[in-house]
Amino acid sequence: MQTQFSAAQLADSQTRESEKILRSCVHCGFCTATCPTYLLEGDERDSPRGRIYLIKDMLENDKPASKEVVTHIDRCLSCLSCMTTCPSGVNYMHLVDHARSHIEKTYRRPWHDRLLRRVLAAILPYPSRFRAALTLGRLGRPLAPLLGRVPGGDRLKAMVSLVPVGGLPRVGAEPAQQGSCTRRVAILGGCAQKVLDPEINAATRRVLARLGVGVVPVPDEGCCGALVHHMGQEDKALVFARRNIDAWWPLIEDGLEAIIITASGCGTTIKDYGFMLREDPAYREKAARVSALARDITEYLDGLDLPEGRGDTLVVAYHSACSMQHGQQIRDEPKRLLQRAGYAVRDVPEGHICCGSAGTYNILQPGFASRLRDRKVANIERTKPDVIATGNIGCMTQIGSGTDIPIVHTIALIDWAMGGPVPNGLERIAP
Amino acid sequence: MSTLYVPASEDELAELVSRAAGTGERFAIRGGATRGAIGGRAEGSELTTTGLSGITLYEPAEMVIAARAGTPLAEVEAALADKGQMLPFEPMDHRGLLGTEGTPTIGALAAANISGPRRVAAGSARDHLIGIRMVNGRGEIIKSGGRVTKNVTGLDLVKLNAGACGTLGVLTEVTFKVLPRPQSAVTLAARGLAPEGALTALADALATPFEVSAAAYIEAADAEPSMTLVRIEGFSESCAYRSERLSELLAHHGAFAPVGDEEGAKNWRRVGNARDFAAPNCAAVLRVHVAPSKAPSILELAQRLEARVMADWGGGLIWLGLGADASVEAAMAGIAERGGHPMVVRCAADTDWPLIGPGRAVAELGKRVKAAFDPQALFNPGVLAGYL
Amino acid sequence: MTHIQFPIPDMTITDRREEIIAALAGVVPEECLIVATDQMRAFETDALTAYRRMPLAVVLPRSTEEVSAVMACCHAAGVNVVPRGAGTSLAGGAIPQEDAVVIGVSKLNRVLDFDRKSRTITVETGITNVAVSAAVAPEGFFYAPDPSSQLACTIGGNIGMNSGGAHCLKYGVTSNNVLGVKVVLNDGTIIDLGGDAMDVPGLNLLGLLIGSEGQLGIVTEATLRIIPTAEGARPVLFGFDSSEEAGACVAAIIAAGIVPVAMEFMDRPAIEICEAFAKAGYPLDVEAMLIIEVEGSDAEVDASLARIIAIAEAHGVRVIKQSRSALETAQIWKGRKSAFGATGRVADYICMDGTIPTGQLPFVLKRLGEIVAGYGLRVANVFHAGDGNLHPLILFDANDPEDQARAEAAGNDILKLCVEVGGCLTGEHGVGIEKRDLMGFQFTKADLDQQLRVRAAFDPDWRLNPAKVFPLEGRLI
Repeated sequence: MQTQFSAAQLADSQTRESEKILRSCVHCGFCTATCPTYLLEGDERDSPRGRIYLIKDMLENDKPASKEVVTHIDRCLSCLSCMTTCPSGVNYMHLVDHARSHIEKTYRRPWHDRLLRRVLAAILPYPSRFRAALTLGRLGRPLAPLLGRVPGGDRLKAMVSLVPVGGLPRVGAEPAQQGSCTRRVAILGGCAQKVLDPEINAATRRVLARLGVGVVPVPDEGCCGALVHHMGQEDKALVFARRNIDAWWPLIEDGLEAIIITASGCGTTIKDYGFMLREDPAYREKAARVSALARDITEYLDGLDLPEGRGDTLVVAYHSACSMQHGQQIRDEPKRLLQRAGYAVRDVPEGHICCGSAGTYNILQPGFASRLRDRKVANIERTKPDVIATGNIGCMTQIGSGTDIPIVHTIALIDWAMGGPVPNGLERIAP
Repeated sequence: MSTLYVPASEDELAELVSRAAGTGERFAIRGGATRGAIGGRAEGSELTTTGLSGITLYEPAEMVIAARAGTPLAEVEAALADKGQMLPFEPMDHRGLLGTEGTPTIGALAAANISGPRRVAAGSARDHLIGIRMVNGRGEIIKSGGRVTKNVTGLDLVKLNAGACGTLGVLTEVTFKVLPRPQSAVTLAARGLAPEGALTALADALATPFEVSAAAYIEAADAEPSMTLVRIEGFSESCAYRSERLSELLAHHGAFAPVGDEEGAKNWRRVGNARDFAAPNCAAVLRVHVAPSKAPSILELAQRLEARVMADWGGGLIWLGLGADASVEAAMAGIAERGGHPMVVRCAADTDWPLIGPGRAVAELGKRVKAAFDPQALFNPGVLAGYL
Repeated sequence: MTHIQFPIPDMTITDRREEIIAALAGVVPEECLIVATDQMRAFETDALTAYRRMPLAVVLPRSTEEVSAVMACCHAAGVNVVPRGAGTSLAGGAIPQEDAVVIGVSKLNRVLDFDRKSRTITVETGITNVAVSAAVAPEGFFYAPDPSSQLACTIGGNIGMNSGGAHCLKYGVTSNNVLGVKVVLNDGTIIDLGGDAMDVPGLNLLGLLIGSEGQLGIVTEATLRIIPTAEGARPVLFGFDSSEEAGACVAAIIAAGIVPVAMEFMDRPAIEICEAFAKAGYPLDVEAMLIIEVEGSDAEVDASLARIIAIAEAHGVRVIKQSRSALETAQIWKGRKSAFGATGRVADYICMDGTIPTGQLPFVLKRLGEIVAGYGLRVANVFHAGDGNLHPLILFDANDPEDQARAEAAGNDILKLCVEVGGCLTGEHGVGIEKRDLMGFQFTKADLDQQLRVRAAFDPDWRLNPAKVFPLEGRLI
């Protein structure tokens, strides 16, 4: 569609990029139909097309973000369902990222909002701080009803309710690393997942070991930057990205085959490093190389010859995380792997709609998040599964807080089928 | 009343109407006058369209035919048959039921929206009418729609006039979308089903993917058991397959077996033309349009009124024949109470034509729409009275 | 330069904006009323983005009663109303005006009733077209009209524009598939037209309302006909070396007594654009492609396709490709239905919607190419071949005002051509603002005046969707 940017505005690379994105949008409105918040509200301001229009207005006129615009951008889950739907190829992800960083620069949030965001950014990406916070959270659980009374308290309440009830899960035995492997990969250790469910990466290592794939330890890596990136803290996100690139680079030069990611939210961001650092001459090429090597674990395994499973026909509802299906366009690989491993896989109705997790969304927008969770759980339960599988820790926590059906990472089921331990939470239903 | 106008051209008609606008003369519009007074008796000088005759356009490859309003239906059907095509909605012939004579015209078919058994699957006359020319009450020649099927240019005066029974103007030319005539047809019949079970069987048949083209129920009479009929049309191998599947699926309702082609065609004429309801069998005849899910309650009412009944359109159209003692108005009230829309097709000569109006707000709108076409109410005064 | 004029906003209305907003706030809750400029931006246009106007206010009611209250409120204040569904109109049917209140039905999205025996579903009109089919799919039914925007467009919008789609060759357009509606008139009166039965007797105001582009009332509920889903359906792709051959093939199929469910045409530029997005396996080395779909059991589909393929072979078809799986079929339709949006990857476009008698296809396609080339522009053609409903996509650069003026001029020439050969200005998108000024090419003054008088019977002051459908001078009546 038509845009109105001045030559001076277009001198800025981010604006130039956004202009290109806006030009490709034809305002056809297809995206509204698959947007979770539009589905709930029936209000175009809470749809991708509406947000694109609000962003366009803000950027074209160099306006500081207004409270109203911030409200509607904040409600966006960044699930990117709209990008899957869009026939015109509009890169909504990059546009909304630009809008978020514009908001961060030009809008002063209320104190409790600022505080919460600062706290989240200071804790979640750091495993040791996060672990300590969870302990506090468990202690804070009895206080939850009181939290509703302070400004922004509904969010604190949401945060506390997401803390796992029974403490952190146990971890199965790690495989002995095989001698000299011809295939060598790194696994992103990351941040929150490491704390909430270390078993995911343990299972991944066991599966890879059985397939003769060597896993190289990477001492200095950490959070991928997605958490702060989605809060518009672009500079901080780039710091995380550069640190990870530095950690992986020697290994890449040494012939690393892939960087395996077991949380699809992180995968989407790492695959975007190339774009995020496009203006940084020192990192531009390295970042592009890292993005090219990034693989979701299911994407990687799909290219290998896995043994066929026993066919126990445990019914698995596969929940595709948005970052998996929309962010990375990985749809069939996880289901194929599960089927091959012997599970009876069910598609979830309305599978393209987000569960409401979306990084820190379920803390920052508890109202929308819980409505989406309930809708998701109802759709999952309609398939009458024994277990829910997914490839993203955020979804596991979110959906798990709304149903009694056990939810596990896809890789845990694969590992189990290949002789690994019974996944956490499945002890009761294990055949 | 003794005046009879037979304009020979659209212009002549327009002039006649323009003149009347000054004199206050009223017109009762006719095609072949085979439908008696359905919709109400019109007062005024008789004006017939039979002078406007002839097919004006027929493009078989585009599935479209246009004819002047007074063209005999038979002429249109013959032209279509010649190219292996047909009017998809299987129009009813009222002559048997009403004991009228004359020749049905294509224009009247459009004006009164007359459809038959295939309506349930293929749609009504209105659904296939894609263009009209008409003379309005100001004596102006108006066109709406055209010769192409997909057309949303401007307000759809075509659909509005289909079924308006000439109250808005005199149609002078009509254009219909047509369809290829099916290569063959199979009629399945089950005898002796009770009304409720028959209606469920028809609904089930119409809910299958086998493209049932007609679905009707004729009640038991005298020594004859009731008959439940469904029809499949298309290429012969496909008809064979679908009718077989259908009789399997309907088996739990009763034995649905194919009848011979000739008997099948005869039965559908019987259903479509409602001949069984002719005098002296019934003193008054109502047709009831109703949601098929509400049809059982209408049949139950009919039983109470000791009325003769027949259901077409899978229960969406119910014919009701009342005895001499039954009150037409009470029957209509009972039907309306059960969610049906009754319309009198024939009643005793000394009875007024009762009509259930659509409610005040809609009737007000109807009046204003009528005035937008025919400000001096020249056309068919008395027809659709409650709606205008 | 854009050529379509909007009326000058009525200052006596815009000056009373605060007062009008206060009145609206009295009948709907805060979250349903949008008044900040920042916020209303999202509603300033539809899918005809070359034209944009800020409304006076936007209201998103949650019930028929709220729609009625808002309409009554606007009526009392003498304010114009612009109805809006999902805002996917390609004709500018939902574009606001500065002195008008937008009433959107997007919050009215519930299924109210499903009647299996009557094969009907009753819905609120803000529900999307595809959601209706999804709601009845488990029962083995679908809703037939399938405009390309079906994913997003609402039933309310479909009723407003009498929408069609690829599959209406067999199943008809919206007006053939609606049995009854609940309508709010301009003064807030709620009425029911039609009902739950077929062909309810009386004056057919329902048929008049469908396709009236929001000029007669706002439809809040509708009872729709649903159809049993066929046992199976399979499309075949035919590639031809010329559009003429493809056109002749379409005519021959119909002449042979076969009415497929859909017959769609795409020319080379359109094939390239859609294939790049949908990866549907369209042949890229042909000048014209037909997508023809038939339904039935496997054996029936085989038999129908064999008949159709024999005809295509007699008309010089070069590439024949049958879909081999449900996934392939979905991809084939995804490509076709995304044609407009996918064009956005290449350039801005305006989409024409004229219908022509199918016999005129070869002539019109040739002339159309000449017209567009004459303006120095490019065109991609997609259309419903079975019924002659053309969708030439004229490509241009929206940031170049002269280019846009040329595109609009070319579009007008094409539409006039459609009328000249016996067709019409719009087959399924509606007149909106886009074709308003061309109405005189298709209709005489008497024709138009008749329509205007009918419109005025519902809304004498032209408060509902004014300055659309009819030439502006129509306001004088």
